[in-house]
Amino acid sequence: MPTRTEVEMSTGSCLCGSVRFEVRGSFGPVRYCHCTLCQRSTGSAFSANSRVRAADFELLAGDSLISEYESSPGAYRIFCSRCGSPVFARVESDPAFVRVRLGSLHEDPGVRPSAHVWVGDRAAWFEIADELPCFSTRPPAA
Amino acid sequence: MLEGSCACGKIRYELHGNLVGPVGHCHCWQCRKHSGASFGTTSAIRAEAFRVIAGEPLLSSWESSPGIHRFFASCCGTPIFKRRDDFPSLLGLRLGTLDTDPGRTVEEHIFVSSKAPWVELCDSLPQKPGGVPFGRRGES
Repeated sequence: MPTRTEVEMSTGSCLCGSVRFEVRGSFGPVRYCHCTLCQRSTGSAFSANSRVRAADFELLAGDSLISEYESSPGAYRIFCSRCGSPVFARVESDPAFVRVRLGSLHEDPGVRPSAHVWVGDRAAWFEIADELPCFSTRPPAA
Repeated sequence: MLEGSCACGKIRYELHGNLVGPVGHCHCWQCRKHSGASFGTTSAIRAEAFRVIAGEPLLSSWESSPGIHRFFASCCGTPIFKRRDDFPSLLGLRLGTLDTDPGRTVEEHIFVSSKAPWVELCDSLPQKPGGVPFGRRGES
């Protein structure tokens, strides 16, 4: 089953442009996460994330402006301290990958959403209208 | 009264009153980047009804366009509200920060000309055009 789409290179940044990165390689499946922490961190109904290989991910600028928030033990949400934009996340138990926040991308990553996760926490003011698979917490391991 | 907070819980606010504007998903490039997500979901609130009750010194802001200030939590990055200098009586609240149900649901999509390519609009909400095509920056 194809789970990754090859792209040549993608670039992304925070809103103010201080933190910039590039991804040389493929993006994993996009998940929409409705957990309460993702609602708070995005200020939106859900987050949109894709796993990329840490070896394919390079920070180009803004290293000194990066802040981290440890949202659960070993899980770090990385954001720009100047404008607040979430940029990526890393998990200590999965060090070979980083989770890119799709909203920071400048090019179409090619991949499309594959599931809604943690819909048990879904915001009361939002209804899911598409037909993607929904999981009340995390999806079962493939 | 509605209550809300940032992701880490250090900043907490109260809203004495309800949302006053349409609840909308904003697809402009700035709201997308500031959320890190597919779009930002916002509604207008009255500034006088909004009170930060904890963590106020942790509130930071960045002026994204002249006179437009985006306030976020310096502790965890959570975007909380937006203020315009030319319209100080209203704030744009980021709905994802609400801890309580506002009793309203999303009513529209705005700046859909800027929509991200991975976003498919499957609902029947009104779609208002506007904004630069995805991948470009511009006034919005």
